Amino acid sequence: MTNVDGSIREPYSILDQWLKQQPAEAMGVMAADAEAIFRRLGITFAVYGSNEGTEKLIPFDIIPRIISAVEWRRLSKAIEQRVRALNAFLHDIYHRQEILRAGRIPEKLILDNSAFCPEMMGLDPARGVYSHIIGVDIVRVGPDDWYVLEDNLRTPSGVSYMLEDREAMLQLAPDLFQRLKVAPVDSYPENLRRTLDSVAPPGASGAPTLAVLTPGIYNSAYFEHSFLADQMGAELCEGQDLFVENGKVFMRTTMGPRRVDVIYRRIDDDYLDPLTFKPDSMLGVPGLFDAYRAGNVTLVNAPGTGIADDKAVYTYVPEIIEFYLGEKPLLKNVPTYNCTRADERAYVLEHIAELVVKEVHGSGGYGMLVGPTSTKEMHDIFREKILARPDNYIVQPTLALSTCPTYVESGVAPRHVDLRPYVLVGDQIRITPGGLTRVALKQGSLVVNSSQGGGTKDTWVLED
Amino acid sequence: MQLTLRHTLRLSLGTPARAVAHVLLTPPSTPQQQVERWSIDMPGIAEAASFRDGFGNRAQLVSLVKPAGELLVVAEGRVKTIDKAGVLGRLQYDPVPALFRRATALTGPDAALLDGLADGPDRIALFHELMGRICERTAGQSQDTAGQSQSQGGDATAADRTHAFLGAARALGAPARYVTGYLLDDGGTAAVHAWAEAWDESLGWIGFDPTLNLCPAESHVRLAAGLDAMSCPPLRTVPVWLDGPAETVEITAG
Repeated sequence: MTNVDGSIREPYSILDQWLKQQPAEAMGVMAADAEAIFRRLGITFAVYGSNEGTEKLIPFDIIPRIISAVEWRRLSKAIEQRVRALNAFLHDIYHRQEILRAGRIPEKLILDNSAFCPEMMGLDPARGVYSHIIGVDIVRVGPDDWYVLEDNLRTPSGVSYMLEDREAMLQLAPDLFQRLKVAPVDSYPENLRRTLDSVAPPGASGAPTLAVLTPGIYNSAYFEHSFLADQMGAELCEGQDLFVENGKVFMRTTMGPRRVDVIYRRIDDDYLDPLTFKPDSMLGVPGLFDAYRAGNVTLVNAPGTGIADDKAVYTYVPEIIEFYLGEKPLLKNVPTYNCTRADERAYVLEHIAELVVKEVHGSGGYGMLVGPTSTKEMHDIFREKILARPDNYIVQPTLALSTCPTYVESGVAPRHVDLRPYVLVGDQIRITPGGLTRVALKQGSLVVNSSQGGGTKDTWVLED
Repeated sequence: MQLTLRHTLRLSLGTPARAVAHVLLTPPSTPQQQVERWSIDMPGIAEAASFRDGFGNRAQLVSLVKPAGELLVVAEGRVKTIDKAGVLGRLQYDPVPALFRRATALTGPDAALLDGLADGPDRIALFHELMGRICERTAGQSQDTAGQSQSQGGDATAADRTHAFLGAARALGAPARYVTGYLLDDGGTAAVHAWAEAWDESLGWIGFDPTLNLCPAESHVRLAAGLDAMSCPPLRTVPVWLDGPAETVEITAG
């Protein structure tokens, strides 16, 4: 919120005044109100490996994060560039693989990658779009200095928190919305619907039938699946609610079978279809992938999009942008050490206490090491892990993440944040202003994942 | 050589409400074979979705509503085979050859097989050497291509030898793929079979049959190709069949 010299950054000046005007006890009351609102909305998430009941309330911080109009324009242009390049990359990887032939990315990194899906070769999805729903995790380390931490092109979650955080703020601080012109986010479900409609297979009727395919109530994001289906007027289905007949996908309804044109699937590739992928999957729909290949249904996102957000492929995204678009990347990558290279590995092993180690296929903040906040024992454990499987880890420096004022027990204090803007790709690219701001609630912590004690806050993009 | 083929599979799926089948029983016309007529007969085939799979094969997705106790699949037709000394070349729907350098669980390299071998200018000689080594190593084993489980396209011996070839070729940096098809052996016995195709930059795909230690000529009829036996079986179903399908293949020449 503040500049290096301690002055208030311009977009925050009105918020700062507002905070100062609040009576001492007002913030505590507001935080309690917020909790009541979220309990009523029923927003919960599941923490894997936790014993205290599976459902938890995600911590919400009542102080919004603010991004200026100018800053957002620049940022959204940069994000758009990135997602265009990544979709071009996916098309190439599943067709002629020019980028591999040109030697710009090592062939083995792609072809032997478990996220690469050979069954996708030669497939042309509607409008040539592979990843329609993308979340790009970015952090700010200085004024207008943004870095991408990771791309999420499989099934990014969290958009329901973005929407509900806004809903809660509108109730908690209506007067602030009078003073500041905040770009709305509530068109997301409608834009999602438009995006999905626009990628219906050519044979689909005028108003395509959409389904959200969920693994079921035990999934950590089940609330979101049902929320999004409800918000955009789609059917929420589990695998058993769908079936394939004569190459087409149908939904069981009380009125009889109904043809499905577009499936927003929140089931991982491996479990989508036991006929093509894991034969023992009970979550998927037998024959679904073949129906997709036959052009009778659109899967959103396409299987095999994970090859574009693989943590090892991440290091090549600047190359990918230059190769397909002929442009300089507008968003920076975090410098990343490749542990399969002896010199870089040696550096990593020596400096592990200063670095962040992530599993190549990990997510949700599980299985990672944040050097500066970890014990010597943990450093040693990760040194051994890296030596045993150097290709399984990427290592990055800890960044001086920006902080945002956050209401904690001791009052308002700075806490580290990241930002996940949500991008929709169909007939056009639509980016919801702002996104989900995740905040590390523990003092000094850099891990913002909700599964690791992170919370969220509303994100305000100011309009001119 | 003019061949008339008839391939019959009998299997039981139990009595599920629905079943789906992924069928790779359509031989393509290639420089090595001209398909004069071909048909697949099974319940639901008339309404099946027909499409290209990721490996360029013609595939069918067949739905079975309340399948009967026994499912009968018959693929039959006439194919003219042409001796090209094993050279298939390039097919229209082939994916990029590099795809077939991908290592799979079934195609791990065998160090003993690779001993002393290296990729060089004469890849074809290298492929022959590999094929010879596999045959030599397994000389004591039966070369009988019939009689074993054929559900993965080729009996276990042919599948294992082909996987050994693929693992070694890929380890040496050469694209190599698994091929399913039929074989009419010297004694006039017909069987489901499997062999390998390996990539040469100038000639394209070349067949190598490590079961018979020869390049496929007029006695082989090619069905489909994939990364390994798991990726391109002639028939795959959900639910999985209860007993391995009883299969017969009849081929008559002339």
